[in-house]
Amino acid sequence: MSSTIVIDPVTRIEGHSKITIQLDDRGEVVDAHFHVTQFRGFERIVQGRPVHEMPSIMARICGICPVSHLIASSKAVDEILAVEPPPTGADLRRVMNLAQIVQSNALSFFHLSSPDLLFGFDAEVARRNIIGVARENPRLALDGVGVRRFGQQIIEWLGGKRIHPSWIVPGGVDAPLAEETRDRILSTIPEALAAVERALAWYKSSLLQWSDEAASFGAFRSAFMGLVDDEGNVDHYDGKLRVMDADGRLLADRIDPRTYDEYLGEAVEPWSFLKSTYWKVLGYPEGVYRVGPLARVIVAAQMGTPRADMELDEFRRRLGRVPASSFHYHYARLIDTLYAVEKIEQLLRGPDILSPRVRSFAGVNRNEGIGVSEAPRGTLLHHYKVDDDGIVQWANLVIATGHNNLAMNRSVLQVASKYVKSAQLTEPMLNRVEAVIRCYDPCLSCSTHALGDMPLQLQLIGPNGQVLDELMR
Amino acid sequence: MTDGPLVVGYGNVLRSDDGVGWQVADLLSADPRLDGATVLHLHQLTPELALDISHASVVVLVDAQHGPEPGTFEVGRVEPAEDTATTWSHHLDPPSLVGLAVELYGRAPEVYTLGVGIASLEAGDRLSPAVESALPAIVEAVAALVAQHSTGSATGIGVVSRA
Repeated sequence: MSSTIVIDPVTRIEGHSKITIQLDDRGEVVDAHFHVTQFRGFERIVQGRPVHEMPSIMARICGICPVSHLIASSKAVDEILAVEPPPTGADLRRVMNLAQIVQSNALSFFHLSSPDLLFGFDAEVARRNIIGVARENPRLALDGVGVRRFGQQIIEWLGGKRIHPSWIVPGGVDAPLAEETRDRILSTIPEALAAVERALAWYKSSLLQWSDEAASFGAFRSAFMGLVDDEGNVDHYDGKLRVMDADGRLLADRIDPRTYDEYLGEAVEPWSFLKSTYWKVLGYPEGVYRVGPLARVIVAAQMGTPRADMELDEFRRRLGRVPASSFHYHYARLIDTLYAVEKIEQLLRGPDILSPRVRSFAGVNRNEGIGVSEAPRGTLLHHYKVDDDGIVQWANLVIATGHNNLAMNRSVLQVASKYVKSAQLTEPMLNRVEAVIRCYDPCLSCSTHALGDMPLQLQLIGPNGQVLDELMR
Repeated sequence: MTDGPLVVGYGNVLRSDDGVGWQVADLLSADPRLDGATVLHLHQLTPELALDISHASVVVLVDAQHGPEPGTFEVGRVEPAEDTATTWSHHLDPPSLVGLAVELYGRAPEVYTLGVGIASLEAGDRLSPAVESALPAIVEAVAALVAQHSTGSATGIGVVSRA
């Protein structure tokens, strides 16, 4: 008798989703799907709006990573205006983008994933939360609050508020950096560096105990994609696309991101509002690739900052050049965060960072523009077409979570195959299926919107639709 | 030593009455009676807010609420949670947030919630007439809570500290 298990919603991710696991008549897992059940439709909403409004509208896609959408959207509008931000304007955008990377990575690692890593996937639910972490390991919890606050404060100090700042605008940024603000940010760098390095040390000390999970949490061969600079190092703001296969060979390098549609296809499945992006050469669904912190540290030659480069060397000594498991997103996310803090300091110590020339002005000079950047969860593309009056006619957003959709589905199937047994619906099994999704830190608000919280529900459904077993929390 | 009163208006401004907390925060930011107070606009209560709470002399959390008649509001005092049943750590409910402040920083002041009854959560950036017309009374209520605390006339649990 075949049956289906439904996990609805998945918790501790950004947005709402559910997971279904299909069993055959022997009770073995035969398929699994990660469903994004919310719908937003920003690509449609913006049609008919003036192009200058796009960054501020697009920032509303997400309350967690609005800066990422501000960056990609402003870069797309830069192209339509045919302007290049002054160097200082571009550097200030970089600082805010990196602050966004820090705060979002901190949310993912410290607030969402550290309870599993501290207590284990089999621990009782009542302990596996941030208050439990605060009691068990106060230093870890304090560092989590501190690192996220570091990133949010920079965004607030530069943009005037923590969420949805309007400082990043087409052509650059809205106002130069004040010396006092620069010095205030610089004064917070040492503690942020120390906190991230403490977290890295703690994580590395516990890495071996997760060898079982690492072997089954999305451990499969795939390609990886991210932006790199002219030297092949990580670049979160600009650069060219690099795609590396599971053996470390370059499938593509120095791709102009504006030609993305020559390489990336987007497929739609009836069971999800989240599009699945794939590498066209390999076809669908074989063209699975991963983006985000793990992809960034894999495709790059180096990070490009001293401390992060040392950590990357150790990461590669421990795990190899192209680690197959998505469990290592956690490790990569911390290295990515360390790099971001170091890079913020480098940029702020630049000789021209206080220059008053931070914005270029122009009218509509092109009818099409594509903006690309690295968001916390991976490569983000905004693509707009406008008429001669600058009114948006068409928009396409390729979101990091969409790049990872195929990989997330494959990961859920792998974890379910190992841990799910039809006769035994247990909390640890449920948590592991959810946890493999959390490795990718999917941001569903970016691809779709739902109101309110729903209880977690896991159902085992028989072939005739009857509920055979059920778990709630 | 504290950073003074803290007022947090939170919600989603693109969901009609769910944006009432932001509207109240806008009005209070320009209100001279709250000089010296910190007024924040947030989408939700996140863990790092525990630090702000631990430094405050009094906290008022303003949010939309199901239950009360549209435009009416309820004031409640928040007891710090000893534990939390939720595994969701993107955002916390007020008791969990205050509990986290006590757990991490050893202190939380008096914390109040002011929940405003809503008429609509449909997509939109305007408040319903009932909630819009209640804004002056809500602002007065928050200002009164802060003033009561400043004059020491508030009663209740007071500062919660961990030994």
